[in-house]
Amino acid sequence: MSKMPLAMLSENEEAIVVEIRGGRGLVRRLSEMGFTYGAKVRILHSSSPGPVLVSIRGSRIALGRGAAMKILVNLEVEKWQ
Amino acid sequence: MSKKIREILGEDAEVAFAERRYAVISEILPKVLKGAKPLTRSDMLDKALLNKYLGIPIFLALWWALFRFTFDVSAPFSDLIDMFFSWLGETTSGVIANEQIASFLSDGIFGGLGGVLVFLPPIFFLFLGLAILEDSGYLARAAFVADRIMYKLGLHGKSFIPMLIGFGCNIPGIMATRTIDREEDRILTILVNPLMSCSARLPVYILVSRAVLGGYYTAGVYSMYILGIALAVLMALLFRRVIPYFKGKPSPFILELPMYAKPTLRNTLIHMWERGVLFLKKAGTIIFLGIIVVWLLSSYPWNAVHVEDKFLLENSYLAMFGKTIEPIFRPLGFNWMGAVALFFGFIAKEIVVGTFATLFGLQAEGPEEVIPALKSSGIFTPLTGLAFMAFTLIYLPCIATVGVIYRETNSWKWTLFTVIYELILAYVVAMAIVWIGGLLGYA
Amino acid sequence: MAIRVAVIGNPNVGKTLIFNNLTGGKAHVGNWPGKTVEKKEGKCVHKGVEMKIIDLPGTYSLTANSIDELVARNYIVEEKPDVVIDIVDSSNLERNLYLTLQLLELEANIVIALNKFDIARDLGYEIDVNELSKLLGIPVVPTVATTKEGMEELKDAVLKAAREKRKKRKIEVSYGKKFDELILKIQRAIENDEELSKKYPTRWLAIKVLEADEEVLKIIDRSPCKHEIVNQLLEMKG
Repeated sequence: MSKMPLAMLSENEEAIVVEIRGGRGLVRRLSEMGFTYGAKVRILHSSSPGPVLVSIRGSRIALGRGAAMKILVNLEVEKWQ
Repeated sequence: MSKKIREILGEDAEVAFAERRYAVISEILPKVLKGAKPLTRSDMLDKALLNKYLGIPIFLALWWALFRFTFDVSAPFSDLIDMFFSWLGETTSGVIANEQIASFLSDGIFGGLGGVLVFLPPIFFLFLGLAILEDSGYLARAAFVADRIMYKLGLHGKSFIPMLIGFGCNIPGIMATRTIDREEDRILTILVNPLMSCSARLPVYILVSRAVLGGYYTAGVYSMYILGIALAVLMALLFRRVIPYFKGKPSPFILELPMYAKPTLRNTLIHMWERGVLFLKKAGTIIFLGIIVVWLLSSYPWNAVHVEDKFLLENSYLAMFGKTIEPIFRPLGFNWMGAVALFFGFIAKEIVVGTFATLFGLQAEGPEEVIPALKSSGIFTPLTGLAFMAFTLIYLPCIATVGVIYRETNSWKWTLFTVIYELILAYVVAMAIVWIGGLLGYA
Repeated sequence: MAIRVAVIGNPNVGKTLIFNNLTGGKAHVGNWPGKTVEKKEGKCVHKGVEMKIIDLPGTYSLTANSIDELVARNYIVEEKPDVVIDIVDSSNLERNLYLTLQLLELEANIVIALNKFDIARDLGYEIDVNELSKLLGIPVVPTVATTKEGMEELKDAVLKAAREKRKKRKIEVSYGKKFDELILKIQRAIENDEELSKKYPTRWLAIKVLEADEEVLKIIDRSPCKHEIVNQLLEMKG
């Protein structure tokens, strides 16, 4: 299974969250906002090197590049359905 | 204990629990929720407003419009308030025979109160505009658009909104830093917030630049806003590098963007009121007291100041005090009047203008003559006038802000640090203006 | 005696407006003791019953992430308001229900205000309010704060909930076999400390211990039950 950082995805791409790296605070914050294993994300807006806007669990969350690099996703969305 | 448990457990439980809670929600949702559009109007709007190239120009245009709106719409209201208090002052001094009481009421209370309350309209209209931007959902987008730039400054997108609010009043601006997660980032944002030129400082710029800058009057006013932003940027960068507490990168930026919504009148007014009332409270207490103190000091000893029909300000306690502290400000080219105005400006910037109004207003016929009186007094050259404005911009906005900085940082260390660094910075910048201007031959 | 009602919700759900609708805009603003967080209190009289409404800070979660979250959760845990109005954004159920689940763990007496119901409808959502209420085991009232729709029903629901004082909830999140067993063991250990179990919901404490929540660990640290808890954890680790 290939993992890649959420920040590398381009606009309108969908993926599944598989791992969050980083300190305890960040991991906790992100998982509370809905970035948990198996959650589907869609990139609504990405303006490298700026922040990304993703849609997750029905809400729109802006993530700085740094945070988006720490969220690892898998692109094979169909396998998870 | 905490360490021990974490050693045993690792971080698994916390993440696993969040996962489970969302899993439970995922089981409930299909049973209660149907429908939904994949792409909403809100998302379409974001395509334009968050655009890499358009995002920042759109923000600047909106912000410019907000400022124009604030000043244009509030000007007539401010004039009305000004007229009302002038009238009130004149009427009371005509009715009351005792000249000390008459002067206290008309010059002290009504003159001073009027001088403060003219700020109400611009502050409330700015907060009204901000509330509209906030309730429509745009303000969060502004944070998104600004994140890239803020990151380079060692801050992040969430620090942007407190800065914007700071242009109205630094107190709600500093309070708005609460949404910033990490304490270091929050304190850094608080430290530079007072450099955002709040609306109380604008009248000082207007008064001084109209008196001494002539045709460059508007440029003088705008330059102060830009100077404030530039210094905030410089200081943020400097603190991040130099102070060990702030070392490292800003915490990750995570912000929910609400869907765009049509702001409702009631909600907008509530938001405006919640921020504006902080200014009202300040005006009603410390500013009011400060103005009375200035009046007392400038009117007494009564018999020495009021000789026959003349008003001899030179003999007042205020002048005595001013001349004592004058040497401190002499390198900047300010005389005792400027020194006194800045000294009392520490209570609140509104008092700087109030002090000038008292200083010249007592001699002149009314408030509308303060500008010509300041001009003809010759206490400022264009260069020292500019230095005076810069000093006003940079040193701490008011005692209430000091109070809020203490409350929000919960530390006397950071509060004192802010007061001191801003005083030093104000002095250095004002001196640099005078010095560089002198070198360029503008003395 | 006035009923004490706390209002809580995620940011941007229209909490301010609902608070204002309930209190008629008259609020006493102060600070939480020793904290920099603003505390807003107001009154509401409904059908002759007085309610004291407390506005809790807007928050996504009830972890010890920020002062805001701590203030909100300490109020609910320690002051034990009679009813907690959980304002949920109807157009964003999934994320908003996360807070609801945490409130359930705190054994709060919850009434859900399903706010922005009009917006959700415009977006094409159809929400089965009765089913949601049934599944969660708590009253759910659709509201539109901007037009004050549903406010009377909300007050009715709050009064009813205050009278019934139900504690046991239908939904209890299962954290998987391994964790559920562990939670139960820790819960038992905590129940040995009578004082502690009178003051706090024990299952919640147990969950927070496993989450290594700083504030809860401080509380446990002062209790004699801590040795038993550490033993249980070590045993699990095997």
